[in-house]
Amino acid sequence: MNIWQLAAQVMIFALVPLAWTAMRGDARLRLVSFFMAGVVTTLLMMLLTMAFQREVMMDVAITLALMSFGGGIVFSRFFERHLR
Amino acid sequence: MKTIAIEMLLAFAVAITLASVAAMVCMRDAYQRMHYIAPPASLSAIFITIAIFLQQGLKPESFKAAFIVVTLVCMNAVVTHAAARAFRIAETKNWQPKPGEEVPIKAQDEQVEPERKAA
Repeated sequence: MNIWQLAAQVMIFALVPLAWTAMRGDARLRLVSFFMAGVVTTLLMMLLTMAFQREVMMDVAITLALMSFGGGIVFSRFFERHLR
Repeated sequence: MKTIAIEMLLAFAVAITLASVAAMVCMRDAYQRMHYIAPPASLSAIFITIAIFLQQGLKPESFKAAFIVVTLVCMNAVVTHAAARAFRIAETKNWQPKPGEEVPIKAQDEQVEPERKAA
């Protein structure tokens, strides 16, 4: 196991409380947990790219970062208009 | 020496992410929680990217990682602002401060002027 794999394995535990808070409570709290999960998953993909030496996975991380932005904006607009 | 630097950077990145997630879960409301998205999106991503540059040198994945940092830093600010604005509008129908509401934007304007009643 190299240091990248170890870092990825530790960081994946950050998703557990985020998944928990994204499933329960107020809609605003769940949305914030969703944003945070997007950032953590992007970092995780970067670490896994280096851990397994697969350059292609860095493209997945780029796509995830960009799509998280789009998803965040769409969810915010939806929240603003419909979830009052 | 390079290996130690990479290990330190990754340790800091992971520690910042875990601490931010723990702090976020402990916070009371959504506005407070949103602040804790910034450290992983900026510091952790920068540390991981520096570690990738140290490990790989000037290779395509290093520049892709740098692009991810730029994306996360810029987009996080926009998404956080949009979400906070949406929450505010959902609560009060308008994101502008209400008359008499405390808005400590600057030191000298801690309170919005109350609406004056028409004579």
